Amino acid sequence: MTIRRRLIPYWLLAPGALWLLVFFVIPMGFMAEQALQSGSLFTGGFHFTWQWSNFPDSLSGNNEQIVRSFYYAGTATVLALLISYPLAYAIAQQSGRWRLLLLFAVIAPFFTTYLIRTIAWKTILYDSGPVVGVFKTLHLIPQDGRLLATSTAVIAGLTYNFLPFMILPIYASIERLDMRLIEAAKDLYASSTQAFLRVTLPMTAPGIVAGVLLTFIPAFGDYVNATILGGTHQAMIGNKIQSLFLVERDYPEAAALSFLMMAVILVMVLVYLRLAGTEAFMGEEEEARA
Amino acid sequence: MSNGSERTLTNRWRWLVAAAAAAIAAVTFTACGSSGGNGGSEAPVAKGGKPTGEVTISNWPGYIDPGPNGTVAEFEKASGLDVNYIEDINDNLQFFGKLQPLLASGNSGGRSLFVVTDWLAKQMFDLGYLERLNHADLKTVFDNITPALRDDPADPGRQFSIPWQGGLTGIWVITSGPGNEIHSMRDLFDPKYKGKVELLTEMRDTVPLVMQMQGADPKNFTKEDWEKAIEFLKKETDSGQIRRYTGNEYTEDLTAGNIVAALGWSGDRSLIGRKDVEWRSPTEGCDTFFDQMVIPVGAPNTAAAYAFMNFVYRPEVQADIADYVNYVTPVAGVKPILEKKDPAVAHNPLVFPPPSLLAPCSADPNPPGSPDEQQKVTEEFQNVITG
Amino acid sequence: MASSAWSWLKRNALRIYAALAVLYLLVPIAVIAVFSFAETPRDRLDFSLSGGFTLEYWQHAFSNQELNDALTTSLKLALLATIASTAIGTLMALALVRYDFFGRRASNLLIILPMATPEIVMGASLLSLFIFYSAPLGFNTLLIAHIMFSISFVVVVVRSRLIGFDRSLEEAARDLGATPVQTFRYVTFPLLAPAIMAAALLAFALSIDDFVISNFNSGTTVTFPLYVYGVALRGIPVQVNVLATMLFMATTVAIVFVILQQRRGERMAGVLPAPEPLAEGSPA
Repeated sequence: MTIRRRLIPYWLLAPGALWLLVFFVIPMGFMAEQALQSGSLFTGGFHFTWQWSNFPDSLSGNNEQIVRSFYYAGTATVLALLISYPLAYAIAQQSGRWRLLLLFAVIAPFFTTYLIRTIAWKTILYDSGPVVGVFKTLHLIPQDGRLLATSTAVIAGLTYNFLPFMILPIYASIERLDMRLIEAAKDLYASSTQAFLRVTLPMTAPGIVAGVLLTFIPAFGDYVNATILGGTHQAMIGNKIQSLFLVERDYPEAAALSFLMMAVILVMVLVYLRLAGTEAFMGEEEEARA
Repeated sequence: MSNGSERTLTNRWRWLVAAAAAAIAAVTFTACGSSGGNGGSEAPVAKGGKPTGEVTISNWPGYIDPGPNGTVAEFEKASGLDVNYIEDINDNLQFFGKLQPLLASGNSGGRSLFVVTDWLAKQMFDLGYLERLNHADLKTVFDNITPALRDDPADPGRQFSIPWQGGLTGIWVITSGPGNEIHSMRDLFDPKYKGKVELLTEMRDTVPLVMQMQGADPKNFTKEDWEKAIEFLKKETDSGQIRRYTGNEYTEDLTAGNIVAALGWSGDRSLIGRKDVEWRSPTEGCDTFFDQMVIPVGAPNTAAAYAFMNFVYRPEVQADIADYVNYVTPVAGVKPILEKKDPAVAHNPLVFPPPSLLAPCSADPNPPGSPDEQQKVTEEFQNVITG
Repeated sequence: MASSAWSWLKRNALRIYAALAVLYLLVPIAVIAVFSFAETPRDRLDFSLSGGFTLEYWQHAFSNQELNDALTTSLKLALLATIASTAIGTLMALALVRYDFFGRRASNLLIILPMATPEIVMGASLLSLFIFYSAPLGFNTLLIAHIMFSISFVVVVVRSRLIGFDRSLEEAARDLGATPVQTFRYVTFPLLAPAIMAAALLAFALSIDDFVISNFNSGTTVTFPLYVYGVALRGIPVQVNVLATMLFMATTVAIVFVILQQRRGERMAGVLPAPEPLAEGSPA
């Protein structure tokens, strides 16, 4: 390869990499420094003291919220996947106009603010409302029960709010599926189910992987849903971090907890990618031969 | 790519990242440091003078009469200033958290004046984030301020704060529901209302009311009183008695009928979308608060801030504000004006509270002890309310 | 008779499901729209319909100046942030998928990191950066922040489309004498366009929606979500719902317009983004 050819990827990469370096990595450095500080706002401020104990301290104090966030985000992701895949498939099956219309219907809710959407759900799920009424009739909740201020409401909110994140990547992946492969499978006497399981699903794996990650990660760190739809026992790790930053103003613990949270997510992502196959996501093997 | 070169590739990369991080940390270590300031009497005095130009004011939402005939518009006409009035304060501590890094470096973030509750004003002053006020520049204010507010135990001699509006914290009940039987804090915790009552996230509102319920002396809450009250709240929260801890959102839950009663603020009547509600002062004692106008360090155009303070202390201007906001006004001479304009408001005991209503109330106190000890109490309370 | 009904159901199951799912997606929008017609005292939402219905807020939709300013600010911000982050992100995606180079793994990690970071952390840490360099907080700092967090999403969306992209089409073009630039312009880009559009839409939506990071880095600039948050605790003016509904309708119109334009343009260029790749020859 010529020198010029070798440099092309760097030119393509440069603007984005620089932007992220200056406006993401360096602030993270600031935050890392903060995580190792100790002291208090009122008595002389914070000082850098290599306070490694901030990490285990913040973990032990907040493990309940970490586990809960895992559970909420995980459930929401699974639900979103179950809802999204058939929908994405249906959209890809439509032609031209209908398809774009459906895609629009998927994205449109996004253009009304996150807060307004969540508040709208709060309105829909109020205690003496129709939704709760139906649930009570179906005996899904006790007669004196409620939906708001429960885990159910928070998970429902998370699922709804992150649905587009799941639908779009899956759709993009289904859309470029080569139908001839499915036809070929059927020619070889595969049933519809087998064709789906052995051809469609694996080939749309990159989309699923992207969707799952794009949904789980922000859901894990979310605090708006828990604040609006939740009650006293639904606080997630995001709520805790927000409280530490803004109310308790314990910046070192907040920073340490944030890093721990990021570490948990990163580990999960790496494990998941290993299981799902990094090639599918990173596209290393095939595309490397440019 | 053979396995060997792959490994060296990742090793090299890791080393680079680690080196970069260390370098960054070193740079920021030398640059950052403690975040104190000049507290107390060393704070600079805000300069007066003829106000011109633009001014930015931050306040709580719904705390001033809006629109083309509202107070801000009138102020602009009367003073010739260009006012950027933003309603971006919805929680004392969250606002503080947002501004703290700026204020610590002497930067007001563009604001010349903002309104926070009295206890936060004091904290900010002690941290050196506020400028001192020159009374000579506040003639109208001190001519018209109600005598009771002329001085303030949290701000002796009114060095840094001027009252904006005040109110009482008590219990809102839905009169047509089972909550109608609630008249005291003790009633709120009756198990038959389980999951149908809400308390406030504002620690200095909720905990003192519980302490009074437990028989503590409001003039002298001890550390043990605070701890006992927080213990009690933890028990009630864990059992599910308390549905949520809220800021103003309790008004939505009252409207929707999701709850039967909630701790709330006396002026929030207009935020509740149903007629069958009533504010009650708990029989064990209530709580008063006063929000204060303050000038932050580094504020631009402090002359304009003074002009605004003087303007809103004119009785006729304050009457418009009181008529809309329906909280307790700090300006004398407003009641006669409203008796002609809007008698309903003039006779509203929550806007012009009679001494009998105010007597059993105490001002929202800080936890006792050093700032560190106060911080500990804050943390304990936070742990209870953030489930 | 039952069996034909059953088989009709089976054939259209997916479509019925899609319709239901879309309904689910649009339910909150409907609620928002309905409440924009609700009559309330004090002009603030109280989420009960007891006051009856009115058109008053639609007639005075733009009477709330702060709301208008906030919305305009958000739209401007979103537009600029979308253009920048889509361009930057697409370039990155191309580099990451099509080339193998030293630092590729690190770059992949760099992309993932912002998505793994809680917004509140990004917000607070950016704030300390801006303060350190005494940068005045406002529209520009917001723009920087919005571009920053959108880049990763653009990369991920475009990348998942690029992977498994049928290279044989490009090879065919080159075989027919097209230069790399021509190949990109007439083959690669049109086929990539849907993904780029999707990424741009996502970036736009993320920017309009962003609350947490904006809260920290906005100074005294008020964006639409910040405004809503500010008033949510003390009574949301009904105009908020009106404008939200209007925004929704406006995007409908805009997208329909784009669809029509796109189809016309495609017909003229003779290139249609086909549901199936058209390649002859061996699959990649």
